[in-house]
Amino acid sequence: MAILECSNLSMYFGALTAVEMVSFGLNEGEILGMIGPNGAGKTTLFNCMVGVYRPTKGNVYLDGLDITGMKPHRICRLGLAKTSQIMEPFRAMTVFENVLVGALHGGRMKMAQAREESARIIELVGLADQAEKPSAAISVPARRRLELARALATGARALLLDENMAGLNPHEIDQALELLRKIRSSGRSLIVVEHIMRAVMGISDRIVVLNYGAKIAEGVPQDVVNDPQVIEAYLGEKRPSVVA
Amino acid sequence: MKTTMNHPHGRMRFWIAFGAGSVALALVPFLTSSEYVLRIVTVVLFWVGMAGCWNMMSGYTGYIDFGPVVYFGLGSYATAIAMTKYGVPFFPAVVSAGVAAAAIAVPMGLTTLRLKGAYFAIATFAFAETMKQVALEFDRTFRVSFFEGSHGITLPISGLDNTFFFYCFFAATFAVMLIHYGIEHSKFGYGLKAIHEAETAAEIAGVNTTGIKLRAYVTSAFFLGIFGGMEAYWITYITPADVFNVHKTVQMVIMTLLGGMGTFFGPLVGASFLTVLSEILGTAFVEYYLIMVGGIIIVIVLIMPKGIVGSIKDWKGIRFA
Amino acid sequence: MDTLFVQAVVNGLLQGGFYAAFSAGFSLIFGVMGVVNLAHGELIMLGAFTSYWVFAYFNVDPYLSAPLAMALLFAFGYLIQKFVINRVIEQPHIMSYILTFGIHLMVANLALQVWTHDFRSVTTSYSGYNWFIWGINIPFARLLTFFLALAVVACLWFFLSRTETGRAIRATAMDKEVARLMGVNVREIYAITFGIGAAITGLAGAFVSPFVIIYPEMGLGYTILAFCVVVLGGMGYMPGVLWGGFILGVAQSLSTTYLSAGISVAITFLILFVMLIFRPAGIVGKGTVA
Repeated sequence: MAILECSNLSMYFGALTAVEMVSFGLNEGEILGMIGPNGAGKTTLFNCMVGVYRPTKGNVYLDGLDITGMKPHRICRLGLAKTSQIMEPFRAMTVFENVLVGALHGGRMKMAQAREESARIIELVGLADQAEKPSAAISVPARRRLELARALATGARALLLDENMAGLNPHEIDQALELLRKIRSSGRSLIVVEHIMRAVMGISDRIVVLNYGAKIAEGVPQDVVNDPQVIEAYLGEKRPSVVA
Repeated sequence: MKTTMNHPHGRMRFWIAFGAGSVALALVPFLTSSEYVLRIVTVVLFWVGMAGCWNMMSGYTGYIDFGPVVYFGLGSYATAIAMTKYGVPFFPAVVSAGVAAAAIAVPMGLTTLRLKGAYFAIATFAFAETMKQVALEFDRTFRVSFFEGSHGITLPISGLDNTFFFYCFFAATFAVMLIHYGIEHSKFGYGLKAIHEAETAAEIAGVNTTGIKLRAYVTSAFFLGIFGGMEAYWITYITPADVFNVHKTVQMVIMTLLGGMGTFFGPLVGASFLTVLSEILGTAFVEYYLIMVGGIIIVIVLIMPKGIVGSIKDWKGIRFA
Repeated sequence: MDTLFVQAVVNGLLQGGFYAAFSAGFSLIFGVMGVVNLAHGELIMLGAFTSYWVFAYFNVDPYLSAPLAMALLFAFGYLIQKFVINRVIEQPHIMSYILTFGIHLMVANLALQVWTHDFRSVTTSYSGYNWFIWGINIPFARLLTFFLALAVVACLWFFLSRTETGRAIRATAMDKEVARLMGVNVREIYAITFGIGAAITGLAGAFVSPFVIIYPEMGLGYTILAFCVVVLGGMGYMPGVLWGGFILGVAQSLSTTYLSAGISVAITFLILFVMLIFRPAGIVGKGTVA
């Protein structure tokens, strides 16, 4: 059963085609990996799905409901959240308060309940010891987890993670993968965009590959990685980093 | 980072301090027999309230509004017209001033709040100047007697003393401060601050940015209208050049900037300091005051962009309210 | 055709050429640095006053002393950018326009202190000289200013496209990081750009001195006008400055002629407001939206 579905999604910026006729589905409880060279349109696709951009053509469905072109805060409250590649914490607030915003507004909770939920999520992602620190003053891995925590606090059932592991060392990547598995087993579905092949291969149930704004492959990791089109897309362009 | 306000003792300490201060202030008319002192304190209260109105919108969201005086002016005119042409008594007239200002703020907010940065600032300024021209030209253009153009409107003499107006402004300013307190601790306040920091990220995290911005804008307009109505009755004579004067906007901006944008005590500190300062300089030195204000703005932006209260908060890492 | 109408349009076009000249600097500064210079009108005021004082003390014709205004304002603009505005250039843009607002207050009120409220004017031998072409009255001074204004805009355009410095400025406007990598001293370019913007604006102020009333507070009105012109034509889009200038000039002239001066002001603000809401990228749609 698809919790999230894109149907012929296209995004044009004037003469520039960022996303071209992309269709795929995210099944409930699934972790879907999304890979593709830089500039393939993954971030634009995510922005179309959460309402930051209104897609030029095509539709997005959440739980069967057509959410195409809805305002981002409405989409968030309906259950779809995302983390950003370029992290944007609310710098003047503490780590705790950042997550609180997600719980209050996205999760539509009252203050007391929101505080409880925020504390719980901060514990879950392992930021409890840094909860009172100003969010501008924490390390990159911590900031990545903060992005994730804020998205989780909104109560979203489907999460789009845009390079949430960028800048992490191998040990941190392992921890991050553990966290994602925990999140999935708590009942959420994830789309994970990453350049780190080891991470994507290790965590994804299925993988979707984008290149030049179009989907060029979809399937289980083994099949996708051996797909000639995928290999061609990567050879001669950016080699996926294989972290041993 | 110490967050004293999350600590139960911290909150109590704040309420004791704020409560004591408010009570002391409320007793000023009884503590002094000098009409001069009473008037000064009333003026300080007025500007704390006005700066507070600007702060609750622009201070917290970071949307720099250069036209707030328009709601003050609209409030003045609403009260003046209600009282002179329709015989409405003072209190209902003032309330209707607030309501009228808020009503106009809704469509204005919806249109202008879509703009960012300097565009928002200039659009709001343009609106304020347009309203001034409307007040000046309306009667002549449509051959009616409504705004009375540059002749202005004279309100009924109140026969009431300074003490009455002291309490009017005290009440309004107290309400503005209560709203500030509400902002500092509520879902609404967190929404405002999130918008200031990273509007798109806030939107994606579920913050209804349009709704929240509008709420702040309209609330601010409501109180500006009320201040405008009270001021009109106090000084008894209003003209478009007076009540739509950009100088009032400048005051609101500089007082909040100096005190600290987006803080509870910012308007209080900034307005008190600058009102007292301009009183010391006297009316003969209005130009000096403006030169100084310009200089203060430059210095603040270069050295202390968070204002006095904001910088103290940063430096000590605490929250006051 | 109705003579009154044609006269109004001609007046508007003459005025519009002038608007274009003093708005070009505003557009340039915004286009290159993203700074909305709220002290822009003060540059015109200073140019006009330079012209006035030189005329009052040395009896030099304003069109001849204009280069002096240009040089002084270049220095003024260059220094202000280099030592003041450059400090906040990397911060969010609202800082820079609050800063320039502070500069506006300081300069306008300092001028008021030094030169008093008195209205002044420059009355040359040809101030009242008019030409009558096909029944249309064309004041000589205004026509001269019109052509000079267009020449100034053309020179600026030439400078930006053909000279080394001009290219550096355009490169910085397009992508300052890449420009930096190419060896451009971005902060220096900013200072030069502001200097140039100030210079041509001061020049415009000198050109207008023969036929407007000169007083220290005249600046704010011009800042608003410049904003209108640039929003109409497209922020940061040089040719748009001409469009914006002419449209605004004619719109104002028509409304003053057929309605009233006060309504003309209201219409100016209304145009600005409507443009900001519905077409912030300007009439031709090539402007940068803040």
